[in-house]
Amino acid sequence: MSTKAKASKRIPRVGQGVARLDADEKVRGLAEYADDLQVPDAWYGYIVRSPVSHGRLRALTLDPDYDWSRIVVVTPDDIPGENIVDMMGRDMPFIAHDEIQYRGEPIALVAAPTRKQAREAAAHVRADIEELPPLLTLGEMIDRYKRDPSELHELCAQTIRKGDAERALEEAELVVEGEYRAGHQEQLYIEPQGMVAVPEKDGSVFIHGSMQCPYFINPELCVTLDLPPEKIRVKQSAVGGAFGGKEEFPTLLAGYCALLALKAKRPVKIIYDRHQDILYSTKRHPVWSRYRTGLDKDGTIRALCVEYVLDGGAYTTLSPVVMYRGILHAAMGYRCDHVWVDGYVFRTNTFPSGAFRGFGAPQAVWGLESHVDDLAKACGMTPHEFRLRNALREGDVTPTGGVLRHSVGSPAVLTQTVERSGFVEKLSRCSHGRVSDGKWYGIGMSFFAHGAGFTGDGEARFKAKVALDLEPGEDGWPVVLVRASSTEMGQGTFTILPQVAADGLCIDLNRVRNPYPDTKYVPNSGPTVASRTAMVVGSTVYGAAQKMKKQLEEYVTREFTGGQAVQLVDGQFLTADEKVAMTFEEAATHHFQHRGPLRVYDQFRLPDYLQWDQKNFVGDAYPSYSWGCNVAEVEVDPRTLEVNVLKVTGVYDIGKVLNPVLAKGQLEGGLVQALGYAVMEKIEIKDGLFDASRMQTYVIPTTLDIPEFDLDFVEFPYEFAVPGAKGVGEIPMNGLGPAIANAVEQATGVRMRELPITPETLFAAMTRGASGPLLRTGTA
Amino acid sequence: MNKITRSWIVNGEPREAEFAPVRRLLDVLREDLGLKGTKEGCGEGECGACTVIVNGQPVLACLMAAGQVEDQAEIVTVEGLEKTETGRILQQAYIEKGAAQCGFCIPGMIVSSYALLEQHAHPDAGLIRESHAGNICRCTGYEKIVEAIQTAAERRAGNTGS
Ligand code: FES
Ligand code: FES
Repeated sequence: MSTKAKASKRIPRVGQGVARLDADEKVRGLAEYADDLQVPDAWYGYIVRSPVSHGRLRALTLDPDYDWSRIVVVTPDDIPGENIVDMMGRDMPFIAHDEIQYRGEPIALVAAPTRKQAREAAAHVRADIEELPPLLTLGEMIDRYKRDPSELHELCAQTIRKGDAERALEEAELVVEGEYRAGHQEQLYIEPQGMVAVPEKDGSVFIHGSMQCPYFINPELCVTLDLPPEKIRVKQSAVGGAFGGKEEFPTLLAGYCALLALKAKRPVKIIYDRHQDILYSTKRHPVWSRYRTGLDKDGTIRALCVEYVLDGGAYTTLSPVVMYRGILHAAMGYRCDHVWVDGYVFRTNTFPSGAFRGFGAPQAVWGLESHVDDLAKACGMTPHEFRLRNALREGDVTPTGGVLRHSVGSPAVLTQTVERSGFVEKLSRCSHGRVSDGKWYGIGMSFFAHGAGFTGDGEARFKAKVALDLEPGEDGWPVVLVRASSTEMGQGTFTILPQVAADGLCIDLNRVRNPYPDTKYVPNSGPTVASRTAMVVGSTVYGAAQKMKKQLEEYVTREFTGGQAVQLVDGQFLTADEKVAMTFEEAATHHFQHRGPLRVYDQFRLPDYLQWDQKNFVGDAYPSYSWGCNVAEVEVDPRTLEVNVLKVTGVYDIGKVLNPVLAKGQLEGGLVQALGYAVMEKIEIKDGLFDASRMQTYVIPTTLDIPEFDLDFVEFPYEFAVPGAKGVGEIPMNGLGPAIANAVEQATGVRMRELPITPETLFAAMTRGASGPLLRTGTA
Repeated sequence: MNKITRSWIVNGEPREAEFAPVRRLLDVLREDLGLKGTKEGCGEGECGACTVIVNGQPVLACLMAAGQVEDQAEIVTVEGLEKTETGRILQQAYIEKGAAQCGFCIPGMIVSSYALLEQHAHPDAGLIRESHAGNICRCTGYEKIVEAIQTAAERRAGNTGS
């Protein structure tokens, strides 16, 4: 046993900052994105959209003076299956046929030999619509919510009830209230949405394009096209960024292409231009939240009452799960025995809101972490003292009653960020709007968690599956192929999963590949969402690799060493006395010749102690949490009120860091998106449409907007599965907005309650007068 | 409309293209010359993904009519970088530093880097940021891209002894 232990795992791949395996094709311009795919004879699809926000479609007619001979038109009558998008709520038709719920809703589809002809033909489809009054903005929605929620169309709702928060609020020594808002945010991946559908001779359809979740598209199209699953093959092309924007939306695009392709009996592709992409794709849900918190004067949190309300747009789509993640993060991170959270998503007559990195959590943390600074102030404590006093620690209980059993990076991330950033000393230098010459300086912080994996018992029920194939590669040498439905969209899947597989097998990384997922070959490991790939799919890949290792070791023992046990170490099979029996390549080649290729499967498992009551939201909301803390330093120009973010310090616990270079890249990229959300990115509804449709009007950070970053990791590995990663994709989006708002308050003396913070909104807030926390004392 | 013919030196090789003069350089490169490395992120000059080099100057291929590019013009696209020393150094640095994530901005980005290094052997971080301000990247936060360009500049200067 001792030699075995000594011999195992000499070249760890996990934990190394190896170069991305897809970097070469990307820097050489060889990666094939949706618009680069060669599709002979493809026609172009175009969507005919409703010109009104709310109404009833009375009739659809084709302009009789237009030449339709080389045009294919699809209306609801052409849908072989159900005219329903098979997502949550099942309330969205694929093509509207009766009530119209938003401006831009598809009312017909057309395809033509060129993009220009398709667009032109679409303009000749006439719709007769009886207009109905629409509800268009978060502002109007919240006005009605405050007046009488029954005036609203509720898409979904959920509560969390821990203790008796209303009573504890009555009994608290201090009560602090606050309201927070944030608008839409556009994902703005640089590659616009793109999809191709190819009808095959056997009646099946091949879908190829830019997507996060091949196994979302497959089951949905079964319903719409009335085809069995094996007749729908879905493959991912290179994806030029997604951030949630290519989670559920590509399912619609795949459907439009497939419906047109089946009718046209030829391939159809749709590549959005930037205008279409911004106007007619999902955005982050706008949010309004209200906090009422009971405190003791010594800084103990007695009660947290939260309302968390999202603008879902016209249909349900993924809103329930976005809201669930939102309410689970809306009071997360602090000790409190009495927590009530009410979550709602209401309809507005706008494009359905959807997935965006963080998935409801950034909206929740925005309110909570702004509010926590008000709490600290109310009891005369500094922001870090208050957080440190109340932060959840190992063994503590979450708002849903789950126990944080292990791998808890709190309060480590908090103490380290405070120290690294010099927070205490810098806090004493803040301007509070009182310095008359020069710029106003402020520093602010935020502290947050992010649940890894699906919410609730999602992972337990789903049981992600992966496979590994050992087969001859193009060069004749054996390769191990990772077969998972997890997509590469820039975040590094095609590098970290091979790293994990190489480690599990104990072979060289250059013998492992991760091809683009294709439902013909990959089992369903679930969608590439929810910061689940590293933890859930990664550990399942590790399990499969260990199985394959064992099978190969047994094979070599049986075939070559006369029963003497061997172990695969660094690509060589070693006997107990450390003699090399043969190499991995030799054994694999022998296996191909005599037994053929080798495939192993594995499935994700969770510890039995995890319990979740989906109806009442009680128990372990996530298998584990990543943790983070941000400190932002800002300078505000007193004349222009421009907010310049100077520096961001952050320490994160994402469990075991699989690849530090890639993980840092996730932090930096995510923080820059969060920076945009906080101080730049603004898109509103005007006449039922988004008021920006190009990159010049929807402005995101450029090279000139980037603050100094000081980022680090502290590792509290997920204990239940090797290699122990938790999740890094989304957490960088969570905390920067409130950290900046808190810094702006320290700089200007004004509490901002709406994102983004712009010179205009800051000016409005300053002229309204400092809106401090609403404070009541001693009601008990 | 009457088509015109142009002979260009594309990535070091003579290429001929025949096209209606108003067609975008981007489409002629991608569709007629098969150089699909150059990307379209916005089609209106706002993202930089379509950046190519024409006679030593970076241009936005989505805004330029192909007819504007004279006969005998030298065009460099992302596919041509590996034929040059600067290009190879840049590619290596981008790979090592983790500068590419989704990769969609990269053809334009790295072509901008190439144009910069061909003109300035020792760019400081400020110049790097300014010269790439028109190349939008939504993935990386630009940190690793700037690092890669700095590294490439140092290596290149070391190689040429400049
Ligand atoms: S595609 Fe040319 S600048 Fe965006
Ligand atoms: S790497 Fe994705 S946009 Fe730059």
